Amino acid sequence: MIKMSIYIYGITDSKDKLDGSLKGLEKAVVYNMPYQDIGAVVSDFNGEIRPIAESCVMKHEEVIEEIMRDFTVLPVKFLTIFEKQENVLIMMKERYDGFKENLNRLRNKAEFGIKIIWAGGKIKENISDSHNGNVQDPPISGNSPAKNYMREKFGKYKINSEFEAAANKRIKMVDDFLSKFAAEKKLNVLKSENLLLDASYLVERDKECKFRAAFEHFKNISGDMKSLFSGPWPPYNFINLPIKDKV
Amino acid sequence: MSEVFSKSKNITLLEILDRALDKGVVISGDIVISVADVDLVYLGLKVLLSSVETMERLRGAPFSGALEKPT
Repeated sequence: MIKMSIYIYGITDSKDKLDGSLKGLEKAVVYNMPYQDIGAVVSDFNGEIRPIAESCVMKHEEVIEEIMRDFTVLPVKFLTIFEKQENVLIMMKERYDGFKENLNRLRNKAEFGIKIIWAGGKIKENISDSHNGNVQDPPISGNSPAKNYMREKFGKYKINSEFEAAANKRIKMVDDFLSKFAAEKKLNVLKSENLLLDASYLVERDKECKFRAAFEHFKNISGDMKSLFSGPWPPYNFINLPIKDKV
Repeated sequence: MSEVFSKSKNITLLEILDRALDKGVVISGDIVISVADVDLVYLGLKVLLSSVETMERLRGAPFSGALEKPT
């Protein structure tokens, strides 16, 4: 016999019932489980989805975005499942204050993703070529193995320093355009040599147009950089809650 | 009720995976779905993130700026 459990999509600032038209994983009806003045958006779940495919992640996201049309939502990580409704309510009770703080902070805001790509490998190569293997500041004279090693290490350090300085200069340029229209931001720098910036910006709804315009402006003058813009997203990157092992 | 957010975005699987798999409200639920299965999805994500060129191929078009034309 399959035991029914509860799948959670998100936490909302509403205790109201949903109309029952929204379907989640396994085509189950999505409903709101109220706790005080907030709610957990859930559906019943028989635990038999196999395989775990990208379509499941897409459905998870689709439900959250539908709810986001009408409410503030704290998106819950994919595949968060409780055995029974009572356990969800216990979790809600224990985390109520944190949920409320986040809901209040994130109300009327959405997340936007910005990825900036540059030819980092080529730029590093050019820096290296410009030194032509002769980084001599400070000069390290002599040809002993130890001195050669130090010379090599210092050369790499100089090249990396210049590379990071070039990266930071470009990142500042992007961020100067965008951050003035954002309430919060998360910047991940140089996740790979070519992925200069992987950023998330939290934008108030009434500044969304200005934020998009700022991105367009940046894009027009971004030269050799390429950019990816996505959003609005639920604020996945801006949830501030302590991680507990078990509720 | 809040106003409806624009749904004009061009959602990419990569962007969704990047968020939904390990971000948001992280709660230890009661039931753990086969970790191996999730790892497969996650591995896919890491591979996707590994190069810009891969992202371009996934989009099926030459890389040329924003995913979405701001309205």
